[in-house]
Amino acid sequence: MRLLERFRGKKPSQSDKNKKGNSNYAYAATRVRAMKSKLLPKESYPRLLNMGIDEITRFIQESEYKNDVDELAMKYSGGDLAEHALNRNLALTYDKLGRITTGELNYLISAYLKRYEIWNVKTLLRGKLYNASVEDILESLIAGGQFTYTFLSELAAKATYQEIVDGLRKTEYYPLLQKFDGTNLAYIENELDKVYYSSLFEVIGEPKSKDRKLFARVVALEVDVKNLSTLFRLKKAGLEHPDQIMPLMIEGGLDLRPEKLAVLPYDEFINQLQKTQYWDAISSVVIQDTASLTALESRLTRYYLESATTFSHASPLSIVPFMDYIIHKNNEVTNLRIIFRGKEAGLDDNLIKDQLVVI
Amino acid sequence: MADIGTLTTLMGDAGLKAIGAGLAIAGTGLASGWAEKDIGSAAIGAMAENEALFGKGLILTVIPETIVIFGLVVALLIK
Repeated sequence: MRLLERFRGKKPSQSDKNKKGNSNYAYAATRVRAMKSKLLPKESYPRLLNMGIDEITRFIQESEYKNDVDELAMKYSGGDLAEHALNRNLALTYDKLGRITTGELNYLISAYLKRYEIWNVKTLLRGKLYNASVEDILESLIAGGQFTYTFLSELAAKATYQEIVDGLRKTEYYPLLQKFDGTNLAYIENELDKVYYSSLFEVIGEPKSKDRKLFARVVALEVDVKNLSTLFRLKKAGLEHPDQIMPLMIEGGLDLRPEKLAVLPYDEFINQLQKTQYWDAISSVVIQDTASLTALESRLTRYYLESATTFSHASPLSIVPFMDYIIHKNNEVTNLRIIFRGKEAGLDDNLIKDQLVVI
Repeated sequence: MADIGTLTTLMGDAGLKAIGAGLAIAGTGLASGWAEKDIGSAAIGAMAENEALFGKGLILTVIPETIVIFGLVVALLIK
């Protein structure tokens, strides 16, 4: 079918929007598993921490990112080269996921990857608002999702944020972006996240099959992890009023009831958390009062990554192994970026190590 | 129009045996194909990322061939 569509000159990802059609689960899921086995093993992170920036770039060049580094080596150097190479690789990897899947699977993956569209919209607006140079903005764009790199770099080259919003006229985010007046960026960013999650839950629908249920569960877990880190930040800052907290919460979580937790003071909030599944993951850092939120957030991320892997084993021929791969790949890129940006800023190795989520 | 009873008498034992043998091969052949479909495409998926998996993929793909071999044995026994 896909081949026929190619002959007719249609883009498969567009014609598959009806979320029907056969998916090649066996082929794609195994391929994604093989791709996951190529991610950097955890033993390589201590080695990377001992290297300088040039060595890290070289290390990246000798790994899966070889093509990207080679391609971009003419334009950039040092930390910028590594940053661009990582982003390019990430975008190409997600594009590949779109290409190797068909039917329902393709539909679900492209719905999930919309998070990068939102990431890009946020980056563009934020960059323009704070007068970042075009180069700096380009450095942070990840052309996953439906937006191409060319389209994004054209937007980045525009002079003001209004022009960027106008450039996004044909996208689904335009109605929301119209509310952006240059002062309410935080509000717009939160709303974009909410739009993303609500549309993702809409795509999942009322899950009936086992794999859809697992998919919904993983997404809900992610929502919980996000809400929990936001709650910790707010509670540490001493906010207790639900009117201040609730607009920042994303709906659709798994175990967490933000509306109940929002009103509690810090100590009781911690007591309530002991009843949730997240307590085991975070207890050791929460008990020490001096512990930073960074440690806590990386524990939560680790818990999320590990749970996704467990779920992917529970349902091997479904969308879950893809999500598992997507978040692990993203985590690898984030880790590498933390390492070389940390090195570049001259941070202490232990400080960098605390930020990493190594699985 | 001859009914089935007349047909079987007309065909004799040898004909019925041949039909039986054919059914054995057809059923098991389809079953093997069905089983190999997913394994084969999974093997290709793995191989696309890592060529070293060719050997293992090939072996796993042909394991359901045993089904059609049983069918063949049965077909030969009937003969």
